[in-house]
Amino acid sequence: MFKVLNLLDPLLVLSAALMGVTLYLIFQWVPTELNQGAVQRILYFHVPVAWGSMLGIFVVSGSSFMYLWKKNEKWDRLAVASAEVGVVFGGLMLLTGMIWARPVWAVWWTGEAKLTTALILFFIYVAYLMFRAYFPPGGQRQRLAAIIGVIGAIDTPIIYFAANLWSQAHPPIVTGPAADAESTLGSDLGMVLLASTLAFTFIFIYLVQTRYKIRKSEDDLVELKRTSTSSSMPAGAN
Amino acid sequence: MRVTNSVPRAGALRIALAMIVAFGVAIAHSSTSFAQDSSVASGIVVGVEVDDSGNLTRFALSDSTGTVTTFDLSFETKYGLENQAGDRWVSSQGEESAEAARRLRDHQERFAPITVSFANGVASSVVEREEGKLETNLGYLFAVFGITWALFFAYVLYMGTKQQVLQHEIAKLKSTLG
Repeated sequence: MFKVLNLLDPLLVLSAALMGVTLYLIFQWVPTELNQGAVQRILYFHVPVAWGSMLGIFVVSGSSFMYLWKKNEKWDRLAVASAEVGVVFGGLMLLTGMIWARPVWAVWWTGEAKLTTALILFFIYVAYLMFRAYFPPGGQRQRLAAIIGVIGAIDTPIIYFAANLWSQAHPPIVTGPAADAESTLGSDLGMVLLASTLAFTFIFIYLVQTRYKIRKSEDDLVELKRTSTSSSMPAGAN
Repeated sequence: MRVTNSVPRAGALRIALAMIVAFGVAIAHSSTSFAQDSSVASGIVVGVEVDDSGNLTRFALSDSTGTVTTFDLSFETKYGLENQAGDRWVSSQGEESAEAARRLRDHQERFAPITVSFANGVASSVVEREEGKLETNLGYLFAVFGITWALFFAYVLYMGTKQQVLQHEIAKLKSTLG
């Protein structure tokens, strides 16, 4: 298995090195936050995987759009690969958020706007993959899946702005254009968060790249089976 | 031979469905107890009970372990609570119990933690959270760390196995086709 996955892949080596530095920063370097204590360090995992899950749906949406436009199989492969990695990141986003919420909010889950829209994103990923898995193979499946992929991205800006639009329990936005000017990004905490986000982004790219290659192998296998079937058919058979 | 296009089927979907089940179980889980000893408890307000006039009669607190504790009140119960802007309100149950109910509901909605000093189930003071048990909750941090890497490793394992099977099948078909 490890031979197949190529442990010397530059992306994997870079991801591992960055993650090593990030783990040192999270557990050794950054000071403990005053109000939440040790559990605040969960956010150095939660925020980057949440970013990864949103990046995933953007890639799904963009590559689905390109597939609808160019009809090139490589865009469809990229959408599938990104959706599958996105579901892993989306699941982690929900799980790490729930584990953080338990000691800080005293509940595993609440019907808060940001949490609900994030859960919807996870279900969009699952729906996309289920559709691809159970709809009969062919061009129509790829077209419809691409449409789901494009529409699914609508949820992303809603998740991002949810904490500001419906001011509820979720901490406010700390990165991006809607971030609070007094956010912690200028501090040590912000630097660790950025390092962690970068490390998880490289992991995301590595996983998508690996899944893309597998998807390409799947397509090659289908093509070979098709060739094998047509060559073994008797002359005149349809 | 029937040709099928096997996309991210079983593995990813099983992981997703397992997460949905785990999510449901987590929501369903809760625990409850009543305050008995003389002590201090920190946590989140999870319930506020008032009488017909809107005066606070009881409230419930969930601590960092998830234990819900219900507190009764006396006329001497002191309050020192802050609103979202950080303005502190100081009073007692005998003076402003309706306002106390409103303040605790506000804390409940904001998930703002409080600290309660109590004896035999009766709260003597209710204030903004002081140093509680949050700092020692390393189990939650370990759980996040463990789950994150276990899931990534499981996914990489799944992809590696899948790639191996595919390469084997491709090699077999190529040799069949000559």
